[in-house]
Amino acid sequence: MKTEIIISGFGGQGVLFLGDLIAYAAVKEGYYVTWVPSYGPESRGGTCNCQVIYSDKQIGSPAIAHPDILIVFNQPSLYKFLPRLKTNGFLFYDSFLIKEPPAREDIKIVGVPAFQLSKMGNMAMLGAFLAVVDQIKSETIFQILEEKLKGDKTKFIPINKEAIATGMDFVKSQER
Amino acid sequence: MGKDILTGIHFLSGNHACVEGAIAAGCRFYAGYPITPSNEVAERASVRLPQVGGIYIQMEDELGSMAALVGASWAGAKPMTATSGPGFSLMQENLGLAVMMEAPCVVVNVQRGSPSTGLPTAVGQADVMQARWGSHGDYEVIAIAPASPQECFDFIIKAFNLAERWRVPVVFLTDESVAHMSERVVIPPREEIIKRLVSRKKPSLPPEKFLPYKPGQDLVPEMPIAGEGYRFHTTGLTHNEKGYPDLSPKAQDKLVRRLVDKIRKNADQIVEYEEFMTEDAEVVLVTFGVSSRICRAVVKRARKAGLKLGMLRLIVVWPFPEKKIAELAGQVKALVSVEINLGQVFLELERIVKERAKVFLIPNAGGEVHDPDKVFEEIKQIV
Repeated sequence: MKTEIIISGFGGQGVLFLGDLIAYAAVKEGYYVTWVPSYGPESRGGTCNCQVIYSDKQIGSPAIAHPDILIVFNQPSLYKFLPRLKTNGFLFYDSFLIKEPPAREDIKIVGVPAFQLSKMGNMAMLGAFLAVVDQIKSETIFQILEEKLKGDKTKFIPINKEAIATGMDFVKSQER
Repeated sequence: MGKDILTGIHFLSGNHACVEGAIAAGCRFYAGYPITPSNEVAERASVRLPQVGGIYIQMEDELGSMAALVGASWAGAKPMTATSGPGFSLMQENLGLAVMMEAPCVVVNVQRGSPSTGLPTAVGQADVMQARWGSHGDYEVIAIAPASPQECFDFIIKAFNLAERWRVPVVFLTDESVAHMSERVVIPPREEIIKRLVSRKKPSLPPEKFLPYKPGQDLVPEMPIAGEGYRFHTTGLTHNEKGYPDLSPKAQDKLVRRLVDKIRKNADQIVEYEEFMTEDAEVVLVTFGVSSRICRAVVKRARKAGLKLGMLRLIVVWPFPEKKIAELAGQVKALVSVEINLGQVFLELERIVKERAKVFLIPNAGGEVHDPDKVFEEIKQIV
């Protein structure tokens, strides 16, 4: 089993943190993992992406040519990475920020208005990812949030969990 | 006091793993000036070193940083700094001083797109020659290239060991991709790390009989620490065995030859590489750092397609594995250098291989790692 994910958007949308959470959770669940960020000099704005691979075998190349899963938060990222997504791969896109629907019929498309559902759109998207892909347990994610957000930051745990739940509920409501 | 060796399983970036490896190796002194993409080394060192009784200094610039390393080394510390291209350029003068004074130290150079300011947040591997020839004059240093956060941890321990053993600066030649990549890092139990550690040779004679620059059989002199009662002079000027300046051609020849020979003649003890599917290979990729991970994937793919491809991955880049390359040259049809620059390891290959095999280059000016698909296509052409 090997899953290759590219997550892409504007700097400041939480793209790297989302990838980091998925990667760290995969480490906790016993997978081999690699997380490679790519960003420009600016801390907000500009494009930014990260590549996450988790696998039950050792990982060779950390560079992903054709991802199994693509998560995008803006139009330029969709244009850039959509052609590289594998056939039957999953596309998660923010349907609130990306108005033009993706034009490919050989993939599974999950539109989530992430940044409309929550201010923490990255967490809402994480919820959708967890529910649809069903490889990483949400309990592992919650455990990591509690590890990472300590002291003064404890107060952010409930709102993060809430955003994740919103994303999960959204995709479940779409299935019905 | 905090724990110095964080035994267990972690999820660390290459930069953070460098710091944990350094602390495990006994590094308790860091002086540096922040620069992307090496900042996380400074960041973690600034938090972790005070926890374990060490010293972190944010210096005024890279010139001062490197000078501080030389001083700290003579004061008995295992010192480290981290930088990237522009900062590494500024460190060259005092790196030469560390060579001349034989002060063990580790310089992490996180390679980014270059020259000049280049691409601060993107990968490059174009400082290979600078690591070797960056300072003026005839000299030898050691350079090590890790390919993963785990290797950042493991190999930086090796870097400190080699620096102490041979009394030279060791350049830890990482790159933006390895530095910012996060992976699982396993930190072994304390006893396992402690028994791996090497420290500089201490004086075997009392102060009145001791000559600070008299080498042993291995061409390395014993090294006292400032404050232990051994009084002598150490300088960047050409010096005799007492450490005093001696500006004669004879002293120059003796000293410079020894500084070079202590690495060249002992290269067999320093050189380290990894061979991957080279036994029956007709074409061998020669690579290092992050590029070796792309190459490993390409080799596997080529084997499935029936192509006899192998890989020689340089772990120690300098001194260069001349013997191994010469051996491969007589055995394979072609050697192919895959590096994120426009041909640096390639030059060494050409120099050593001569006419015995063909030498090719798959270059990349930087900004991103090689595309495995494109490397595979080029390899098919070459084969």
